[in-house]
Amino acid sequence: MALYNFKKIMVVPTAKDFIDITLSKTQRKTPTVVHKHYQIHRIRHFYMRKVKFTQQNYHDRLSQILTDFPKLDDIHPFYADLMNVLYDKDHYKLALGQINIAKNLIDNVAKDYVRLMKYGDSLYRCKQLKRAALGRMCTILKRQKSSLEYLEQVRQHLSRLPSIDPNTRTLLLCGYPNVGKSSFINKVTRADVDVQPYAFTTKSLFVGHMDYRYLRWQVVDTPGILDHPLEERNTIEMQAITALAHLRAAVLYVMDVSEQCGHTLQEQLELFNSIRPLFANKPLIVVANKCDVKKITELSEENQKIFADLTAEGIPVIETSTLTEEGVMQVKTEACDRLLADRVENKMKGKKVHDVLNRLHLAMPAKRDDKERPPFIPEGALIRKRAMEVDAPKRRLERDLEVELGDDYILDLQKYWDLMNEEEKHDRVPEVWEGHNIADYIDPDIMKKLEDLEKEEELKERAGEYDSDDESEDEDMQEIRVLAKQIREKKQLLIVQSKDKDVHGPRMPRTTTKVRGGGQFKIITAVSVLVCTRFARRSRSITKKRKREASAPPTSKTRSQSASRPPRDQSGIRDPKMAKKAKKMMKNSQKDMNRQGKKGEADRHVFDLKPKHLLAGKRKSGTNDYR
Amino acid sequence: MPQNEHIELHRKRHGQRLDHHERKRKKESREVHERSHKAKKLIGLKAKLYHKQRHAEKIQMKKTLKMHEQRKTKQKNDDKTPEGAVPAYLLDREGQSRAKVLSNMIKQKRKEKAGKWEVPLPKVRAQGETEVLKVIKTGKRQKKAWKRMVTKVCFVGDGFTRKPPKYERFIRPMGLRFKKAHVTHPELKATFCLPILGVKKNPSSPLYTSLGVITKGTVVEVNVSELGLVTQGGKVIWGKYAQVTNNPENDGCINATVPGYPEFTRNVLTTTKNTKIQHAVGFQSQDHQEDR
Repeated sequence: MALYNFKKIMVVPTAKDFIDITLSKTQRKTPTVVHKHYQIHRIRHFYMRKVKFTQQNYHDRLSQILTDFPKLDDIHPFYADLMNVLYDKDHYKLALGQINIAKNLIDNVAKDYVRLMKYGDSLYRCKQLKRAALGRMCTILKRQKSSLEYLEQVRQHLSRLPSIDPNTRTLLLCGYPNVGKSSFINKVTRADVDVQPYAFTTKSLFVGHMDYRYLRWQVVDTPGILDHPLEERNTIEMQAITALAHLRAAVLYVMDVSEQCGHTLQEQLELFNSIRPLFANKPLIVVANKCDVKKITELSEENQKIFADLTAEGIPVIETSTLTEEGVMQVKTEACDRLLADRVENKMKGKKVHDVLNRLHLAMPAKRDDKERPPFIPEGALIRKRAMEVDAPKRRLERDLEVELGDDYILDLQKYWDLMNEEEKHDRVPEVWEGHNIADYIDPDIMKKLEDLEKEEELKERAGEYDSDDESEDEDMQEIRVLAKQIREKKQLLIVQSKDKDVHGPRMPRTTTKVRGGGQFKIITAVSVLVCTRFARRSRSITKKRKREASAPPTSKTRSQSASRPPRDQSGIRDPKMAKKAKKMMKNSQKDMNRQGKKGEADRHVFDLKPKHLLAGKRKSGTNDYR
Repeated sequence: MPQNEHIELHRKRHGQRLDHHERKRKKESREVHERSHKAKKLIGLKAKLYHKQRHAEKIQMKKTLKMHEQRKTKQKNDDKTPEGAVPAYLLDREGQSRAKVLSNMIKQKRKEKAGKWEVPLPKVRAQGETEVLKVIKTGKRQKKAWKRMVTKVCFVGDGFTRKPPKYERFIRPMGLRFKKAHVTHPELKATFCLPILGVKKNPSSPLYTSLGVITKGTVVEVNVSELGLVTQGGKVIWGKYAQVTNNPENDGCINATVPGYPEFTRNVLTTTKNTKIQHAVGFQSQDHQEDR
């Protein structure tokens, strides 16, 4: 299983935390109440449950640690070797072994004590046995303190390792410290590796990704290697050696032509020869970096001979400068091409190719006539392609300007404006002039446009676009209108008729009688008969176009029920002073009830003196003020 | 993707937040208030644990403070000076305390003569029969009650086979049989897990001794050959008596101590020049004495 995602490992708690977590979990998740008078089997079961629960938790947690951490035999040898270099294989295996032993011991302890508890004949005895069992399990774990600490540190470091895929196309950079490997990777990919003048700035492997020929390539930056035998190498250098040994990649051996790194060309050649065996079967390119300081042709005779020898052996030597970016693209393309050719060759030699080759068939269409039909490639694509291959100077970007000016840079977008008078670009534009808002007059044709608009509006109005359209109404709508008119007429008739009838005789003023709702109903029932027949069909609602007008307040006020009698708080009151006193008395008597949250005088009964949700369970009184 | 020490790299390049130091300072000073709030408001089990932890911390703090203080102050060295009138020729001398240094051998010989056992726990609570033996009812109507089951931890020897179940009066369940004891040696201040050889004496009753019941105060014989002890005469000790100091049925393990001295040895092996192993006879005479 490709465990290249080491970020999924669970946090390894410290011994103290581990114990605290598990014991408090046992306390929370198992029943807590037991009494002496319970039946003995119930007591036993209660305590056995606790022992087993604790054992289960420890077991689960420890097993998870054991499965999360990668087994050095199961992962790619590159990662296995890298972990050996960084964390020491023996120590790692020992730590995991200790955890395993602890897990087994805890299981055994639990088993023994559960067996003993079957003979417990009193609550005290069972309780003591449970206490002894939990104590022993926690002691076992306390002894694993150092293993757990070590594993936590390993986990943290492991999760930050760069995710290098050992099987894909890779370019590997190696060489002395300070020759320019990290600068190279910064130029070619988006990796942001720290570049500093002191040696061993890069202390571990870094990976960056780039694209070439529509494929994804990995570029791996290594810490510098010094020239001494393998046994004397420290951890940092060993990481580079591991990468060289296990990754099947194109190797870019970077040399510093100007000798600014502090090592002469001879020394660099020595190193090259000593790690030569690691370059076997890998496409190799020698990158002569820092050529802006010193070119190969400026070197002495013997140094030039070095490079000449290398070229003679068939290893391409390419001059680059990561500062001026010359030669970087060339190196990239050369290395990628060589690696691709190598990979294809290896794949052809392998067995899997034949499955694919058998199924592939390249169809070559036979020529129909003598007419030439070349592929059509638009100009832009060709230009771009050429730009990709050769480093064409790009146009000067705003960003370049910013970098150049540094702190003095001010963003000035006005220089791009297209004005008739070029000198006016940087003028300040006022906002108000002679009482007019400048923004209104931006357009030179604005007056003309306004006139056009007004004319259009006039035309539209005349055409009647804003009128309510009677023609668009269909038959139903017209019928409704007719009906409504009829209803109105009928209503008025009924009103006049009822006024003429002198049924009631001498009348009392309106305030003394109760209002009857019946009179209104009569009108409505008479009308509704007319309406129902026509309205039954309609299901859609039609929105009518209507002129907008200011919304009027409702014309009728609803009359209160007790119009005939004075309200209770006003009856029997002689003057405002008495009214005020009465109101005060009322409020006083209500104060107490309101404070207790009662509705009124009759609301005396408390239905639930001890609400269960506040007082029962583990979180009872003293823990929460509300639920 | 963040690689290697990306956090430190970011800090190196961009520095920290503008208010980083102020926030840090404020957070640290708030810790005092949080601690006091916790100490006041926690209840229940959490409070107990917290107070225990805090108590330990405070003790440490006080110790270090005292240590620092001690360096500043000077302390008087009060050696032993002889009290009372001192002759002139002794004025310059410092006080000396003399003690009789007796050799182990002599002490042992004296004890032998006295014939007393020195045991770590002289007085032990006697266990009644109803406590140690539980009545098991058998028979078709569960009325016969002549069987007993031992409810305490017991020891049965290696070659132990039960009597036929029909005739077995005392049942010693397998779950309660223990073979090993954790023996503490007070001089070496170490505890070893040693196999039990047998139960020597149970102070409550000789019946329990014969059954092999181990309770608190029982004298048990343990195999100490792995300690590699040797007597004065060059004999290798492989058995020792130890007394049980805990309640094994409550703790699930047998804790015992070996009394400091005199040593009790039994079955001492001798090795001759030809390294032939011979079995020497005899108990020491004090074995059989009981403590009153």
